[in-house]
Amino acid sequence: MEFSGFGTSLVQLLIFFVLLLLVYKKALPPLMATLNERTKHIENQITTAEKHRADAEKLVAEQKELLIATRNEAKEMIDRAKTQKEVEAEKIMSKAKSEAERMLADAKKEIELEKVKALASLREEVGALSVQLAEKLVGESLDQKKQANLVNAYLDQVGRLQ
Amino acid sequence: MEITPKVTVAGLTFDLTIILATLLASVVVYGLVYFATRKVSMVPRGLQAGMEMVVDLIRGITEMTYDRKRAEKFVAFSITLFLFVLVANQIGVILMIASEVHSPIPALGITADKFHDGAAHVAWLKSPTADIGFAFTMAIAIALFANYMGIKTSFSNWIKPFRNPLHIVEELAKPTTHAMRLWANIFAGEILITILLTKFNPLVTALPVGVWIGFSLFVGMIQAYIFTVLANVYIGQKISGH
Repeated sequence: MEFSGFGTSLVQLLIFFVLLLLVYKKALPPLMATLNERTKHIENQITTAEKHRADAEKLVAEQKELLIATRNEAKEMIDRAKTQKEVEAEKIMSKAKSEAERMLADAKKEIELEKVKALASLREEVGALSVQLAEKLVGESLDQKKQANLVNAYLDQVGRLQ
Repeated sequence: MEITPKVTVAGLTFDLTIILATLLASVVVYGLVYFATRKVSMVPRGLQAGMEMVVDLIRGITEMTYDRKRAEKFVAFSITLFLFVLVANQIGVILMIASEVHSPIPALGITADKFHDGAAHVAWLKSPTADIGFAFTMAIAIALFANYMGIKTSFSNWIKPFRNPLHIVEELAKPTTHAMRLWANIFAGEILITILLTKFNPLVTALPVGVWIGFSLFVGMIQAYIFTVLANVYIGQKISGH
């Protein structure tokens, strides 16, 4: 094996350096820039995706919370309405009852009054008839007022005995 | 053995075959990188995708060897070295040009004393890496650069291992093995191709040559990778002060 000579080595190194310089300065930079840009782009995409995911999760949680709150509220409203209904029903019932009682009492009072009135008029009529009867029987006119007192006393006596 | 045309100028010998092959390899490498990086797009296609694979491969090497900041600085060097050695390795497999010379050409160093049986096998184009001088030139240049980087980074760290004299042996062994590994692999490949093609009936050796060429392409790739990895490792060792 024969050594190819120092001249060859020098030329070879020179060629390599020129190539290195050209590749380093001219050919490679656009590719490296694109590679870096792509890395950045992908990193951005990942970050954005991560953010979107977090946002979505937050929104879902919010929605869930809202749903629960709404459900609770609805339940509360229904409960309240139920209670209200019962109270209302109770009120109406009691009102109706008291009304009925009042009407009944009124009616009773009326009956009582009518009864008293009827009794009084009956008493008067019976008094008058008795006097007329007595007049006819006795044939003479008694003092009407005296007679009335007499009859009343008699009737009272009868009432008491009854 | 094949000889190569040489000229001597001012006491320096220039091997025309090696220089031509080196030049060719450089042009191919530059063309490859240039055209792969012209219409770069965010979504890689064709040659760009191939070049990005190379960049990824090389980044793997540099990031393994240096810290992150320095790794990026060695990417261009490593890509150039890798592709240069790779193409240089394949020239001899794909494009070997040799001829038989029957009369001496003294101007090219092809003299009568190199003739056997009235003829000489002259290689006009072969892998420069199959030349031991080429391989040593690269390896020694890298070793010198590694030591330069070591001294530049920290002289005390660089000088420390030399307290053990065996370290000198190691320092000499590194470029020697670095060069020999590359040279021997490629040289052996070319020798076998030449022997199979010239010493036997081509009808018999056609298949083995085909297989061997395939294998040589593979070896050429592996050796280019190993050469680049070792270059980075040697430089990295010096920088980190081991």
